[in-house]
Amino acid sequence: MASPGGQGGGGGTVSTRGGAGGARRMKWALELSLGNSRGRGDRQGGQGDMVYPIGYSEKPVPDTSIQETDKNLVEKRCWDVALGPLKQIPMNLFIMYMSGNTISIFPIMMVCMMAWRPIQALMSMSATFKLLESSSQQWLQGLVYLVGNLLGSALAIYKCQSMGLLPTHSSDWLAFIEPPLRIEIMGGGMVL
Amino acid sequence: MANLTIICVNFLVLYSCVAAVFEDQVGKFDWRQQYVGKVRFAHFDMQMQASKKVILATEKNVFASINTRTGELYWRHVDMVGPEGNIDALLMHGQDAVLVGGDGRLLRSWDVNIGGLNWEIVLDHGSFQSTCFVGQHDTVKYVAVLKKAAISVHYLSNGHQKWIENLPESDTVQYQSVYSGGDAEVYALGVVPHSHLAIVAYSVDDGEITKQVSVEAPWLSNIQASCAMVDQGVLMCADTTTSSLYMLDVRTQSQMTQIPLQSLGLDIAPDFKPVLVSTQPNPARPPNSEFFLQLGPDHHLLLKLNDGEIVTLRDFKPALLVSFAAAGEKTIAAVMTPKNLTACSVNLFSADSGRRLLDTTLIFNTDPNGGKPEKLYVQAFLKKDDSVGYRAMVQTEDHTLTFVQQPGRVVWTREEALSDVVTMEMVDLPLTGAQAELEGEFGKKADGLLSMVLKRLSSQLILLQSWIGHLWKLFYDARKPRSQVKNEVSIENLSRDEFNLQKMMVMVTASGKLFGIDSKTGTIVWKHYLDSVPSNAAFMLMVQRTTAHFPHPPQCTLLIKDKDTGLATLHVFNPIFGKKSHITPPTLPQPILQSLMLPLIDQDYAKVLLLVDDQYKVSAFPSTKNVLQQLQEMSTSIFFYLVDNSQGRLSGYRLRTDLSTELIWEVFMPAEVQKVVTVKGKRPNEHVHSQGRVMGDRSVLYKYLNPNLLAVVTESTDMHPERSFVGILLIDGVTGRIIHEAVQRKTRGPVHLVHSENWVVYEYWSTKSRRNEFSVIELYEGMELYNSTVFSSLDRPHLPQVLQQSYIFPSSISTLEATLTEKGITSRHLLIGLPSGAILSLPKMFLDPRRPEIISDQSREENLIPYAPEMPIRTEWFINYNQTVARVRGIFTAPSGLESTCLVVAYGLDIYQTRVYPSKQFDVLKDDYDYMLISSVLFALFFATMISKRLAEVKLLNRAWR
Repeated sequence: MASPGGQGGGGGTVSTRGGAGGARRMKWALELSLGNSRGRGDRQGGQGDMVYPIGYSEKPVPDTSIQETDKNLVEKRCWDVALGPLKQIPMNLFIMYMSGNTISIFPIMMVCMMAWRPIQALMSMSATFKLLESSSQQWLQGLVYLVGNLLGSALAIYKCQSMGLLPTHSSDWLAFIEPPLRIEIMGGGMVL
Repeated sequence: MANLTIICVNFLVLYSCVAAVFEDQVGKFDWRQQYVGKVRFAHFDMQMQASKKVILATEKNVFASINTRTGELYWRHVDMVGPEGNIDALLMHGQDAVLVGGDGRLLRSWDVNIGGLNWEIVLDHGSFQSTCFVGQHDTVKYVAVLKKAAISVHYLSNGHQKWIENLPESDTVQYQSVYSGGDAEVYALGVVPHSHLAIVAYSVDDGEITKQVSVEAPWLSNIQASCAMVDQGVLMCADTTTSSLYMLDVRTQSQMTQIPLQSLGLDIAPDFKPVLVSTQPNPARPPNSEFFLQLGPDHHLLLKLNDGEIVTLRDFKPALLVSFAAAGEKTIAAVMTPKNLTACSVNLFSADSGRRLLDTTLIFNTDPNGGKPEKLYVQAFLKKDDSVGYRAMVQTEDHTLTFVQQPGRVVWTREEALSDVVTMEMVDLPLTGAQAELEGEFGKKADGLLSMVLKRLSSQLILLQSWIGHLWKLFYDARKPRSQVKNEVSIENLSRDEFNLQKMMVMVTASGKLFGIDSKTGTIVWKHYLDSVPSNAAFMLMVQRTTAHFPHPPQCTLLIKDKDTGLATLHVFNPIFGKKSHITPPTLPQPILQSLMLPLIDQDYAKVLLLVDDQYKVSAFPSTKNVLQQLQEMSTSIFFYLVDNSQGRLSGYRLRTDLSTELIWEVFMPAEVQKVVTVKGKRPNEHVHSQGRVMGDRSVLYKYLNPNLLAVVTESTDMHPERSFVGILLIDGVTGRIIHEAVQRKTRGPVHLVHSENWVVYEYWSTKSRRNEFSVIELYEGMELYNSTVFSSLDRPHLPQVLQQSYIFPSSISTLEATLTEKGITSRHLLIGLPSGAILSLPKMFLDPRRPEIISDQSREENLIPYAPEMPIRTEWFINYNQTVARVRGIFTAPSGLESTCLVVAYGLDIYQTRVYPSKQFDVLKDDYDYMLISSVLFALFFATMISKRLAEVKLLNRAWR
């Protein structure tokens, strides 16, 4: 394929208006002969001045016909999808370990991501099921996928717990305790 | 390593609570007013014609100089409290002021221009009687001091003693007065009451007795009260019983000449002791021969001694006050006469002729809310045309000093009563008319949709109108130079500000004068003098109705109890305007022991005040039917306690339905061993937001928040350092149950105490270690609440856990108070008034009995500071930077509308008002918030967005064309 010139526009370009003084050119023109563009360098490229017909492509077109024999490949692919969340768990554990229990912006972001991803996946369960439709072990895969995501969110919750973000202690509810009502009215003091 | 962590933790903690003021914040929200107290001696600085000073010595042991043009202090020296610093006499000569202080212990000379000490001499023991300048040959060289048994003469230039002589027969003769007429002799005058007068003359040069006479005077008992020196050493005395004047030339005569007043055509007003006033303009010369004789409360005479004959120059009746003044070489007499009910006039008279000087009338308008004139000080001067001009300083009964100029212009007034504030309250200011309109809308009952809509619209319109008015005013003021824009505070424009930071300070002073002071500027908005207040009265100020109940005016009640008779009176007034309320308070025929403010309100939203009399019967104020009914319903839950510290008896009572009482508990402290010093409950307006404390393991330690808890402090009567002790008793005021008891051995008072939330902090002197110590007690219920909904003292089976810790404090303290905020979310600080005049804001977390000795992870989690026995004083914790409050006696704290902010008023000799932010200003933008920068950045960003959006559009279009 002839490469477009360094200084020129594109190969088959729309030429714009040039200098003001020059003769008025066409607003646009289609140069059908791609090889015969103005670039002189192209002409002297030494690649041969082959002119391709319109619509000709040098790339080979892939074979799109489905091979019936690769059924187990689909299975494999579906298992990949189903096992995806489970595979992430060791990674998550590592991140959890690395980020520590201090409350700062990065651990919080990590936890949010960890918690959000399984939830997102669970919400788009039906789409995943559609992906797995073609598989024979659809239900098993679905279950594995679900379990994986649940484990992921459990991990996120555990992380929240260890970071102290879950209101599981009595101190977390302290601010909501109303001051008790006093029953007796009392006053007095030193004899004036 | 552990040390390092401690240092780190300390660093973090300390630097998180630094609360100093920036230089440009000085005076922004704080102010100080300095006072001197009731004036005892006042002298005008006469050495220069254009002098602007008046030198004052006061009953508060303050010696000060005041600018007569502005009324501000030039300088002030505050001496010790009590008799040790008492100023006995003040003499002025040129630019030297000679002061005798501490009952004749010290003789000091001050330079009045700069207020510097020239010299100071410690005098010999003996109670001080009198002092005078001694002059010779027209120059004043010495000062003579007469004591009970000795007379001494000192050089005026350096204070050295020239001579000292014992007075003859000083065990029988009471020497009371010393006199020098400019000749070579000093006379000591003494009296043997109802017998004779003793006159001893000393030679100035060597102190030898040159003459000693005893004169028969059986009617005389006090020389200073009834006698005066006039002319060339003539002792003039007035006597009531014989109703005559006595005359004696101390130099030559030995027999008194009696001149019956009737022979002069005069008589004394009944029950009046005549008073003689003479003048000695130059101490090196004999006194003038003219003198005043006061024969009645409003009857004065100007008399003259002319060759042994008494001549009446002029009779002043009515005349309230008289005074001599010197103008150049002339001596003039100023006389104040009542003009009408609200004004007095002052006139000048020539002293030697008694003629009235022309154009010397001055009108002094007496304040209807002030006291009567008490003393008149006149500063006279010669004008260019040789006529006499003058200014007058009038002291009134309410300790006010007013400086008046001819023809009656008040140059300044000083409310010296404010140097002795007894109690105070802070009252919210009322809403403006528009705001009140809006508030009132919600208060009323709904009457139809349309009318409500109309009402809402109209009130919104009013708001809009006032807002536009406000904007206009801002715009109008912005054009004026800044110095001219003054925020004048008057009753008309008093209204609550956005965050309720401006309040009305109602102050009660010992003299019986009430003040309403605007807390933002310190302007005195109103004053009211109660003239029937006894000198040893006990005051209790209560806010019965705040400004929150709009059509009803706010209402304060002052209980004034005469400690001698026990009888009390109530003064009901409006705290915003100071006007006496039209509500007639009940007359209280029985002595009142205590009063008690109930949270009950009557139909007019006034809180009910219960007064307990000595029969333990209770009367209510207001006592309408509604109130009495409510009281009957509530009576089973109303309790009160009384502490009688003379008997050491603490007793609790319960109210019966018929308003009689029933004794339910009694605790005796043996009065011969210990005496009750202080009893403190919690402040009724205190809110506690958090019911517990979060531990390191995130469990909760619940606070023991007993609203009926009392902290009782006792001191031992035995003051021996080995045996003295301070006891603290936490007792439930309803049941009398003793919650906690602690005794600190080898300590003594004075004990300062703060009781708040679940803690008690107190300070005492440890005689063992000779240092001041703080101790803190905190009470906790434990890890579980017994009853989280209601608190009843009658149903609390478990005693709380008590934690206590003590610390060393490097200074003694004058007063102690805790900050207070609206909801109690903000952390607490202790405000400590130090004797130096500084007010220290100490974070409560330094006084926390849970401070660990060994730090652990849990304590670090809780942000507990490791225990250190010494308490730091950091100068950046002084909330009043260099504005020291002399003799700080009390600190008052009040919450503002902002949770972060607490209003603080410290009072003593001075008054200082400021705001503190114990947890910093978390709810408002900082003072130095850069509005300009932020808004310019915002605008720049906005425009940048607009421009780049446009540019992007163009670019997109271009790309589409390409």
